[in-house]
Amino acid sequence: MSEVQRRKYSQEERSVVFDGEFMPHIDSMYNFAFRLTFDEDDAKDLVQDTYMKAFRFINSFEQGTNAKAWLFRILKNSFINDYRKKSKKPATVDYQEVETFYNSDDVDYQSTSDLRAESVKDMLGDEISNALNGLAVDFRTVIILADLEGFTYEEMAKILDIPIGTVRSRLHRARNLLKDTLKGYAQSMGYGRDEEED
Amino acid sequence: MENTDASSPERKLQCSDVGKCFQLLERILDGELVEGGNEMLQEKLDQCQPCFAHFHLEQAIREVLKTKCTKQPLPDKLAESIRQMIQDAR
Repeated sequence: MSEVQRRKYSQEERSVVFDGEFMPHIDSMYNFAFRLTFDEDDAKDLVQDTYMKAFRFINSFEQGTNAKAWLFRILKNSFINDYRKKSKKPATVDYQEVETFYNSDDVDYQSTSDLRAESVKDMLGDEISNALNGLAVDFRTVIILADLEGFTYEEMAKILDIPIGTVRSRLHRARNLLKDTLKGYAQSMGYGRDEEED
Repeated sequence: MENTDASSPERKLQCSDVGKCFQLLERILDGELVEGGNEMLQEKLDQCQPCFAHFHLEQAIREVLKTKCTKQPLPDKLAESIRQMIQDAR
C-alpha cells in the first residue's frame, strides 16, 4: 500500500468514507488490539490511535478498496512502533528456525495426529482463547488475521509487509503450535478418543 | 463434504506424503484454491484416513477460533469517543 495521495476528499466525502468504510470495522479492530496487548486500556488507545491516523491519512485510502486490510495494517504498525517499543519484553521469534522447521519433515504432524476434531469442538471458549493468547505475538497475529478475520494470504502479506511464502509458513507453524496446546488441554481434560460429552 | 463418516473401509490408513498433503488441505481450507483443488480434496477425503482426519481437525479449529475468539466486547463509548476526536480534529 503506497502512501501516495490519490485524490483529496472533500469534507463531506471524508465523513462518508470514515463512517461508512472505517467505523464498521471497529469490533474487529478492537478484538485485534485486545489480543495483541491483553489490556483493555492499551487496546482502546491503540484503536483510537489507529482511527486518528486513518483520518489523518484518509487521502491515501482509495475508496472501494479493502478498508479493513488498510486499517489493520495501520493498527499493526502502530502496535509495533508505539506500543511494542514501550513494552518491556519484546516477543521475538527466530524465523530462520521457523523456516527450517517447516521445511524439515513431518515431525509436526506426528505430535498432533491424535488430537481429534470432536475434542476441539467440545472445548470451551476460554480454552481456545487461552491457547491462542499463549502463542508468541507474530504467530498469534497470523492466526487472528486468517482465522478470526478471514484475510487472504495476499491481504496478510500486505498487512504484515512480508512475502506470501512467509505468511504461509508462519501460519502453518502457528497452527501446529496451537494444536500442540489444544492437544495438551484435551488430554488434561480427559477427552478420551471415543468419548461423547453430554 | 459428501462423505462425513469418521472412518470408511475404503480409506487407506497411511498417507504416503503427509507433509505435502496436509499443507495442501490447509491451503484449501484457507480459501487459497489451487488448480484442481476441489477434485484433489474430494479424492483425498474419500481415500485417505489421515487426510480425512486432518482436514476435519483443521476445519474444527478454524470454526472454534472464529466463533469463540471474536467476541471481545467493545468498551462503552469507544466508538463515540473516536467520533468526537475526529470532530475535534476537523
